[in-house]
Amino acid sequence: MELDRTTTALLAGLLDPANSKAWEVFDQRYRPILVGFARNCGLKDHDAAELAQATIVRFVEEYRDGRYDRERGRLGAWLVTIARYRMLDMRRRAGTARIERGESAMVDLDDEASVSEVYEAQRRRAVLAEALSELKSSSRTDPKTIQAFEMLVYHSVPVAAVASELGMSAHDVYLAKSRVAAKLREIVLRLENEYEEGPGDWASKGRRPSDGLGA
Amino acid sequence: MGDLSDETQAMQLPAGCGRFPREALELAALARTDPDVPIDERLAPHLVMCKRCTEAIDRFAADNAFLGEFKGIPAPTSRAPTVARTRPGADAGPAERDDAALIPGYRLGDEIHRGGQGAVYRAEQLATRRSCAVKMLLGGKFASDIQRMRFEREVEVVAALRHPSIVTLYESGISRSGEPWFAMELVDGERLDEHVRRLRLDARGVAKLMQQVADAIAYAHRRGVIHRDLKPGNILVDREGVPRILDFGLARADAPDAGSSPGSGTTLVGEFLGTFAYAAPEQLSGDPTAIDSRCDLYALGVVFYECLTGRRPFDGAKSIGELVIQKTMRTPERPSALVPGVDRDFDVIALRLLAADAANRYDTADALAEDLARALDGRPILAREDSKIYVLRRNLRRHWIATGAAAIVLATVVASSVALAIAYANAEQARARAESQLDAVLKALEESNPETGDGTSGMLATEFIASVEKSLEAALANEPADLARLLRSVGLIHLGFGNLADAATAIERAYAIESDAYARGEIDHITMSDSAYAVARVRFRVPSTGPNFAGSEQAYREAIRLRESATRPDDLHTIDLIRQLSSTLRRQMKLAEAEDTLRGAMARSARLPPSRERAIFDAAALNASAGIASDRGELQLALVEYQRALETLRPHVEANNFRIGVGLLNIARTKMQLDQWESALPDAEASLRILRERKGDRDEVTLRATNVVSEIRRVVEGRSTGGAANANGNGSP
Repeated sequence: MELDRTTTALLAGLLDPANSKAWEVFDQRYRPILVGFARNCGLKDHDAAELAQATIVRFVEEYRDGRYDRERGRLGAWLVTIARYRMLDMRRRAGTARIERGESAMVDLDDEASVSEVYEAQRRRAVLAEALSELKSSSRTDPKTIQAFEMLVYHSVPVAAVASELGMSAHDVYLAKSRVAAKLREIVLRLENEYEEGPGDWASKGRRPSDGLGA
Repeated sequence: MGDLSDETQAMQLPAGCGRFPREALELAALARTDPDVPIDERLAPHLVMCKRCTEAIDRFAADNAFLGEFKGIPAPTSRAPTVARTRPGADAGPAERDDAALIPGYRLGDEIHRGGQGAVYRAEQLATRRSCAVKMLLGGKFASDIQRMRFEREVEVVAALRHPSIVTLYESGISRSGEPWFAMELVDGERLDEHVRRLRLDARGVAKLMQQVADAIAYAHRRGVIHRDLKPGNILVDREGVPRILDFGLARADAPDAGSSPGSGTTLVGEFLGTFAYAAPEQLSGDPTAIDSRCDLYALGVVFYECLTGRRPFDGAKSIGELVIQKTMRTPERPSALVPGVDRDFDVIALRLLAADAANRYDTADALAEDLARALDGRPILAREDSKIYVLRRNLRRHWIATGAAAIVLATVVASSVALAIAYANAEQARARAESQLDAVLKALEESNPETGDGTSGMLATEFIASVEKSLEAALANEPADLARLLRSVGLIHLGFGNLADAATAIERAYAIESDAYARGEIDHITMSDSAYAVARVRFRVPSTGPNFAGSEQAYREAIRLRESATRPDDLHTIDLIRQLSSTLRRQMKLAEAEDTLRGAMARSARLPPSRERAIFDAAALNASAGIASDRGELQLALVEYQRALETLRPHVEANNFRIGVGLLNIARTKMQLDQWESALPDAEASLRILRERKGDRDEVTLRATNVVSEIRRVVEGRSTGGAANANGNGSP
């Protein structure tokens, strides 16, 4: 039976330390998001990886302690709070604001909303990337359709040029575009459902996660 | 394509309603986010009415936005495309033109020309061994993918142009060093202005070349391509003497930030002054949405003027600011004043092209080509005829007929541009524009209606209306719903002028068209209600067969039913329709039903907050109520209600409003019936003054007022001289 990949199911699986599959999927899903998130918050690669590791570990601990309640806020919000406290702490420990930052955009860690936005953007990217790889590995999709899509979207090749390169009519190129859009939409929708992090439930009510300092 | 699921089979159906190819709709979708994407100019007016095409564009735009999200997402195994134009720059070394690999597939030869924006080389296309010209846009690297995409899409459209006077574009791409280039037909020729100078061409010779250029421009405009940078340097005359236009539609890709790029002082200013000389005032205004195909007509005007006279129209300007002021405020000297012997027709054509307001230029390059052909053949040119209208308009204004007629002239110009709505505009803007133009036409038409707008006096204005109607028919033959709306407005104006037969024809025709469209779900309840309302009004008054009150009643009921289904109970327009229904009932002598209907409408109005509109309604309802009282012989009550009606109206309209005139006439007539002749006279006289002013001498109501005044005067004068001129039937014994 195929693994239930919804966040709810993964969380249920996490409660059982022996369920290594749930852990694996959970980790595969959230670690890259957290790394990307940390990098976009200005951390260097090494720090970002460390932050992601610490955040996941902290989360699983709190979750197994029963401190995270899905009714009260979405998982992403909880992760962001843990990660943000940790980054603030790193900054404090650096004495001033002189923690080493990568070249990417600076985010004001004191502004919860913009930190959340960075996470959300990263999460959406993860969904899109997964959708893309699923589309490409799907045997049902004509390789030419995918090629047309890539030329159009990734390389901004004009329709006429795509058409002549792939030996299609311009009309078929447009069709291919619609077809890919429809398929990707379908996949993205399904993945978003698996994340169960629709818009609107960002604000965590009531309990907050710990400050992640292990206190 | 191997894989056709159900959903993709559905996609094989035509996108939109099928009138436009999918590509046109796709480009319109792209234009949503990139106003520079060219769109089919016939599409914009179509979209005003076509839900299916609008929805298709929405869908494509949503697809584009969604797919755009994937742009920065790493694609697992993205295969680099192999077409030349997108091959990523392998080395970013200096752009040596003799670097054979600079532009894959071409061998570059001598430099033919070098300007501020780029260099043109003689080149050979290796695969076909044909000679061509390659233009490199030096320093023209695209700042963004969007810009590059825009360039490439534009090239795509331009490359499809095939016209003997347009230099064919073969291909374009991005060089190894990142600069855009394009390969085009190699033309052996000289600049238009040099050609004219060298051969000392006379005005006719220049006009012949211009005619060919106009024809080519018209061809491109019909395909949605605007040149935007026409100047003598972009028009070469080849060895056969055929003018060939270069760099079509590439003006913007050519110089992505021409206005803002930092440059080297005076040279640059000079260069821009040169270019700006050909730019239409709206191009200099900095509002990209103001630019449409008519900017090319302006540029052609400058080129034509320059070729005729050897100088540009506003040669004296020292700065761009001064140039803009001159362009917008001044009319250049007539070419014939500078070069004796230039035909006056060419003066008219050149100055028409140079009109500061795009609306006063030719509407299309076709019209220009046609006029040049006429001038060359010695036939009367059309620009002349139009300028007659302008002269007429000025005269009309002088004779207080004023704005109404002027508005109609304006409407003629606007109406034709409705159908030609603006190419090169973002689809939504174009749509808003087409809509606002329609509205402008309607408004202009309404303003010319003596009952609702500023008054116009009869004859001339009706001729104008006929011409508007004709131009609408031609312009909107393929847009029945738009045509119907405008026909209806025209019909209502006819009605306002008392041209009942014309009004009936136009309005009933609009009604037939709109009934069909309504049955197809293409127009909404309100529009259909308005259509039925117009029919009701015209049937109420229709002359040849006598008023058709029953038909009018039926149409009013339809109008009311439709409106009730789409509006709230407090909709004053609906309430007023009910009042008017009451009038048709009264005319059919169904007095009780008329009164009930009227009271119902008045009760609904009484619940509304006070407003000008409500006051106008209340006055009309009081008048109707007075009319019913009068029918019943309750003259005293009728007089009181007529007077109340006038008092209700006065605070809200000008003293010489048409309605005041009618109200005074009603009062005067009732006073006559009540044998109050002396007091009736000033009312009748005031009424006549207003009606003459607002409706003209020949209007039916004015004539009635004239009769009333003379009758009253006869009686009053007879009385004051003690004579026995007893003209009335119900007066003293």
